[in-house]
Order: sequence, then structure tokens, then C-alpha cells
Amino acid sequence: MGDARARIGSGAVVGALLVALGAFAVPADVARAQVRGTIVGPGATSYPIAVSPLKSTSGAERAAGAFADIVAKDLDLSGLFRVIDRGAYIENAQTSGVTADTIDFRDWSTIGAQALVKGTVEREGEGLVVEARLFDVVEGKQIGGKRYRGNDDELRRIAHRFADEIMALLTGERGPFESRIAFASRRRGRFKEIYTMSLDGGDLRAVTRDGSIALAPSWSPDGRSLLFTSFASGNPSLFASDLGGDKRLISSRRGLNLGGRWSPGGRAIAVALESGGATDIALLDPDGQVMHFVTKDRGIDVSPSWSPDGQSIVFCSDRGGGPQIYVVSAQGGTPRRVTFEGSYNTSPAWSPKGDRIAYASRIGGRFQVFTVSVGGGDVKRITSTRGDNEDPSWSPDGRYLIFSSTRDGSGAIYLSDAAGTRQTRLTPSGGDDSSPAWSRWLE
Amino acid sequence: MARSIRLAAVVIMVAAVAVTGCAKKKRITDESTITGAGATGTEESLTNEGGSLGRYKRGLGPEEDGVLKDIHFAYDSYELDGSARDVLAANAEWLKENRRARTEIEGHCDERGTVEYNLALGAKRAKAVKDYLVSLGIASERLSTISYGEELPLCRDASEQCFARNRRVHFVPPSE
Repeated sequence: MGDARARIGSGAVVGALLVALGAFAVPADVARAQVRGTIVGPGATSYPIAVSPLKSTSGAERAAGAFADIVAKDLDLSGLFRVIDRGAYIENAQTSGVTADTIDFRDWSTIGAQALVKGTVEREGEGLVVEARLFDVVEGKQIGGKRYRGNDDELRRIAHRFADEIMALLTGERGPFESRIAFASRRRGRFKEIYTMSLDGGDLRAVTRDGSIALAPSWSPDGRSLLFTSFASGNPSLFASDLGGDKRLISSRRGLNLGGRWSPGGRAIAVALESGGATDIALLDPDGQVMHFVTKDRGIDVSPSWSPDGQSIVFCSDRGGGPQIYVVSAQGGTPRRVTFEGSYNTSPAWSPKGDRIAYASRIGGRFQVFTVSVGGGDVKRITSTRGDNEDPSWSPDGRYLIFSSTRDGSGAIYLSDAAGTRQTRLTPSGGDDSSPAWSRWLE
Repeated sequence: MARSIRLAAVVIMVAAVAVTGCAKKKRITDESTITGAGATGTEESLTNEGGSLGRYKRGLGPEEDGVLKDIHFAYDSYELDGSARDVLAANAEWLKENRRARTEIEGHCDERGTVEYNLALGAKRAKAVKDYLVSLGIASERLSTISYGEELPLCRDASEQCFARNRRVHFVPPSE
């Protein structure tokens, strides 16, 4: 747990010390135009890229391979790239150059690479200095480069940040990998607990050890803490916890205190509170005091999700009969119904781009993930599998979704691009994983 | 038994009670103050040893029926049908004969639908049952409600028969 706090605390240090290598200033527009024609979005024809282990000095050998492994896994998960197997690489990472004028690009074009990641890692005191560069193999030019300083614990994060940078350089939009996923799981026994992990499945951390039922996690905007509901004391109460598991009680009104979500500005928590069987959406201040009720009726209103501007809330309500998706002003007022197809639509999530809402819909007796425009039209089906696909959550860049699915048996977390073209299982089946929540970019 | 201790300590204590098995079948009502960064709050421990959560914590599955019989619901419904009303009438008779008995009404759902919606649906089921028992003359003070949504199923196979068993209201064995 001490580790977790140190890691979170020093995250800012990575940020502060991140220096764009001015000397490499992107000769970019040419190179970017070159590759942009190929990469249009997840699901398009994948772009062949080689990710070489870094060239390392003494004491940094392990980091050299680990960095390349993490970047390669992220690029593969993105669906935009085909990462060429390392066994095919001709150049020796330790003896070859890492700049455009010292790399023999024919060694890379021969194996089919159109882009190449190379760089160096050195020990500096207790920490590491990573210089990573992205090259256009066809043009024989550097597209971009970054230097990062951090301790060994932060290597994973540095690698995720450079993967996001590669996506920014080649698609014009930052990638989603410097982030974390929270979810509920029974992977370590019969109790449902909250965990977090990197998108690539690495760095798994337990947040709760309640030995009870903990569920419905969500992130603070800065990615440093979580909200979740736990039956640890018998009543389903709302808690906040840092990633090391140091938790505090937010709301323990008798009845459900369910599904808290921080507003984008971090000033309010939208939560579903139950009283006398009726469940309504309320806004709490950060200490758990009710600021006002957004909805108030006799039915079920659950699963609030904020619009990115913090002005509106999308939620699930049975006010019209069965469960449907509605949008309402965060101040309250008359909700506007968004979904009209299907008799059971639930667990809405508002895209960080603001334009679409993902949700789960019952079709043929089981649940599938869909998206709909905020205005209510243009319904798109994302999943078409056996089992149930539920609880979608958007990536920070709005290009991807994660959700739980029982398509392979017990619940696991899956990643998909926002069009549903390519779907990848992120967690092992058998752990009964559910309710995934994707953080914003970590600060 | 008001105490001012950290939540972690409460959890450990409750677990220890469960493990040593020294707990009587009665409600634990330790009130604890939770101290955390920036805020304090109080939370009363409501874990009912005889209830489905108390059993689950002790490694036992939820009980089906009891001296008060379970009632069942249609999918995504909290309406009481004829057979549910018949069972509740019999349960009300028992509660009238045992005038000091209190019970907790647990609302449960099948696995279909999301965790959060099912918790709210379970609360509706528990409330519908409580209201009906009150209408039959049972004092509301004797009846508490809680929803476990789809979290504590009786069975886990994806069959209509199993789903139907799990869509239930269960009564915690009454205590005086």
C-alpha cells in the first residue's frame, strides 16, 4: 500500500520531468501525412510497426525489454497496429544506432515494418532515463521522440505514456493507455471485491478486502481514488478509497447508496439513493451531504453518468414502464427519454467526447452493448455474442469501450473499439469480473 | 457498545466473530466511528447473522424458505401475484401469533440485468412485501428491508428454473 501512495505521488514527477526532445522536433507534417492515409481509426487495416527493445546501459537491461513489451502490447490492443514479432528483427538492439542517421532502415523495411520504435534506457541515480523515438521506415525519418525520467516503479507508466504518444503522432489523437481500469471481481475467493489494473492486465491491485460485497466502482477525475458501494457493515453504503485501500465513508443512509460518480469538475457526486423502495438520483457534496435531488419519484432511477461538461446526467429509469435511458439537467427538471428501441435498456455511460451514450440492452433474452447519439437517434449495436454483455465504460479518448461479458463463461472484462469491430478479452475468464470503469488519463 | 475505532478494525472484529462462531443469532449493533482523511462519519453495523449476507460471510449459501416462506416474482417485476399474496397471508398469521418477532425482508433478483438496477429492483420487491404485510396488520416497526440485488443467488446456472428461484423475497429467521 505504501508503494501505491508513492507511485501516485510521484506520478506528478514523471509529468514534470517529461521533456519533449526539442532537438528531434518532429519534421512532422510530412511524416504524419504519410501515415495518416493508412490509419483512420480502430478497425481499419492495421499498420505494421516494429518495437525494438531499448538500448540499455548497465543496470537497466530489464527495463529495456519490459518497455518494449508494454508498448507492443498497448499498440496491439489499440487495433490500429500489427506489431511485428521480435524474432524477425535483424538489427541488434544493443549494437545498432537509435537515430535516423545511424539506423539502417532497410533492415526494417525488409521485414515489412512501416514504423519503428527505438531508443535508450539508462540508470541515473536511483531512477531511469528513457529516450524513446518513433521513426517512419519508408521515409527514413524520425516522427517524434520523448525523454522520460522516473523510478523503476514508473516504467510501466512511462511505456503507456509513450504508446499514447505514438497514437497521437500517427492518428492526431492521444491514445488511452496511461489510465487504469477498476472492476468488481470474485477472482480471489467467494467475496466480491474491487480491484484496479492497467489496460494490458498488468499491475493488478486490490482496493477492498471487505470480505463482503463491494460493487460498482467509479473513478475520481484525477484517477487517484475510487467510489464504490460496499455491504461491509451490512447496509449498502458509499465509500471513497485511494488505490491503496485507505477508505472513508461517504454516504450510509439506510437503504441503497449506490453507484456514486464524481462530476467532471470533482465538486459533486451523483448517486442513487433508495428510501422506502424508491430509488432516486441525488447530488452529494464531497463529504456526502445531499446538495439536491436530481430526480424524485416512486420508481427506480439508477446508474447516473455525467456529460463531459458536467451540465447533464444520463441515467436508467423505469418511469415509463420498463427500464429506459433518460437525460436530465444536473439541476433537475423533466428528464428526456433517449432510448426507444428495446424493452430493457440500462447502465448508460456518456462518452468523454460528448456525442454518444453507451448502454446495455436486452435482446433475445440476453444483454448486448449498444451506443446511441445523445439526441436519441443513430443506434449502433456493439456486441452480438452469447451470454450477457453489460456495464460499458468509455476510454479517456472516447475511441474505445470496455464492458463485462459472460460470452466465454464466467464474467470477464473485454475491450472493443467504439464501432465494435475488434473485441479483446482483457481479464482471464473464471474470476466473475463485473462493472468495469475506465479512468480518465492519470494525472 | 459504542466504540470509536477504525473501520478496518471493525471489519476484522466482525470477521473474528464469524470465524470463532461465538455469535448468537442476533443482530450485531456495534456503532463505529470511521476516521479517514478529511472526513468522519458514523456507520452502524447491520450485519444480520441469520440473514443471507451473514451466512455468506460464514461461507454458507443463502437459505430458501424457513418458518416464513419465500415469495417469487416475474422477471423485472415487483408485483405480488395471487400465490405470493397467499404465502404472505400465512406469513402474516405467523407474525400475529408471535407478536414480538421481528424479521428482515430481503429482496433478491436473477442475474439478468445490471448489478445496480437489480439492487434497486430488489428494494422494490422488499418494499412491496413489507407494505402488503403492513396492510394485513403487521406493525412496520417489526419489519426491516434490504436488497441484495443479484449478489446472493440460490443457484448459478443460466436456466429459467434457476432464474425463477432467485427472483425472490426471503425472510430472515425471526428474532425477538
